[in-house]
Amino acid sequence: MAEPLALQRALAALVLDPDGATFEEDPAGFARSHGLPEADAQSFQQFSAGLAAYRELARLSLMDPIETMFPITRALLEREGSWEPCVEAFIQARCVASPHYRDIAPAFLGWLAETGWGQATWPFLLELAHAELLEVLVARFPEADRPPGLHKVPGLPDRIVLDSVAQVVSYRHAVHRVSEAAPVPEARPTHLLAYRDGDGQPQLMDLTPAAAALLVRAQTESLAEAAAALGLADPAATLALLEELRDRGAIAGFQAAS
Amino acid sequence: MARGRFMGVGLGLRRPHLEAVVARPDHGVPFWETCPENVIGDGGRPHRDACAILDRDPVLTHGLAISLGGFDPWDGDYLRDLGRFLVRTGTPWHSEHLCFTRVDGSCLHELLPIPFTREAVRHTVARARDLQARLPVPLLLENITYYAELGRAEMDEATFIAEVLEGADVGWLLDVNNIYVNALNFGFDPKAWLARMPLERVAQLHIAGHKRFGALTVDTHGAEVIDPVIELMQWTLARLGRPVPVLLERDNHIPDLEDLLAERSRLQAAYDEVLAVPVGGGRG
Repeated sequence: MAEPLALQRALAALVLDPDGATFEEDPAGFARSHGLPEADAQSFQQFSAGLAAYRELARLSLMDPIETMFPITRALLEREGSWEPCVEAFIQARCVASPHYRDIAPAFLGWLAETGWGQATWPFLLELAHAELLEVLVARFPEADRPPGLHKVPGLPDRIVLDSVAQVVSYRHAVHRVSEAAPVPEARPTHLLAYRDGDGQPQLMDLTPAAAALLVRAQTESLAEAAAALGLADPAATLALLEELRDRGAIAGFQAAS
Repeated sequence: MARGRFMGVGLGLRRPHLEAVVARPDHGVPFWETCPENVIGDGGRPHRDACAILDRDPVLTHGLAISLGGFDPWDGDYLRDLGRFLVRTGTPWHSEHLCFTRVDGSCLHELLPIPFTREAVRHTVARARDLQARLPVPLLLENITYYAELGRAEMDEATFIAEVLEGADVGWLLDVNNIYVNALNFGFDPKAWLARMPLERVAQLHIAGHKRFGALTVDTHGAEVIDPVIELMQWTLARLGRPVPVLLERDNHIPDLEDLLAERSRLQAAYDEVLAVPVGGGRG
């Protein structure tokens, strides 16, 4: 009989690989094709129903977080008959490595980014999936200690320290305006601030291009330098906006730029 | 002694209940069980709630994806984090499943059966001993529900489990529902099966609901525990003759906290009923 590792590899192939779908037609043949000796092939034949159940159970386990976290991506691709091929290709890629169940959905997003799957047909697909996961990631991102010495009221010599979970995100499409009924986004540059509010709830805020650029630049240079570089004419209005973002929890505070 | 805190019937701590459990410290649950994979590295409000409960109430820990019977190397970062987590919770032991979940770097997030062979026993014993040496608390192994033997078996499930427990010299998290479900799927008497086992190694029980799909009964953790499983729990406790903690698992179709607390109370009554009988006077 085979070594335990060879048997485990055969079961993983049954669960994850395309030929697993035809397992029930010839269970012993499947085992032989994976290099298992005849005694094990006969065992695969004898226990074919139970082994097939593992394919179904494990795939449900892998698919459930994707179907839950990406409902609009799913709605888009289901309209085109492409959702199942997409999930199938992801499962075959075997890129779920983390022991944390919550990491399956980010692994799907990473796979989309790495392979470019579907993006020749739907150039906004990666942005759409990213936007769907953004709030979930912001809601669950681990807290980090705030750097010491931050002050609450911004001044022009200061730089911005974003809250550790806040992110400034730019898309080429308005992917935050879609729905399951209308999943195709408008092609329009979109800038969002994703942050966690005082109750721990994720929030998305639409930003103007200038505000998004300021939030990025002024993390590494003074507000005065960033505003000048961006041609912002009204520093007082900028400072008022930043103070509001600090009150909402998106900005941790301000400190003198070095 | 820390283990004295763990008596009666506890509940698996699940995300939909965190806020309610934080808000009512008088919940009456003697202990919780938490899955480290679901807490370690997480953040946000539910995570804060989970940590508040783990810091306040007695907790046992139960792993899902370490792949005890697998061949992938341990994830060193995760083991370090796990060790810290176990110390933080004050759990008297940590349990893992007697299964594999990873192959060649892929995590399948399913409890897959180890072949019932002498070579698999040797490998699993070595892995369990190695894992035990890396953990700050005693390791328990849990018997799983399995739906097929993986390859030609050289022994039956009971022999496989007993040889691993004895060889690794670890405790047993005995899942009563898994035995019941396996007995349905493979046609054996669960009490006769249990009577062959090293019950002196049992430190904890699990109990849960299951569901039949065609010819196969599946350990869904998605329904109330049925009376025959409760009766098997009572029979096992009587046979043990000592009050080990029982943990009610519910992972699917999770009801409101009040409904789950009511089910826990029913199981607690069954637990108390059997343990009120003098040792040696149990059923069966």
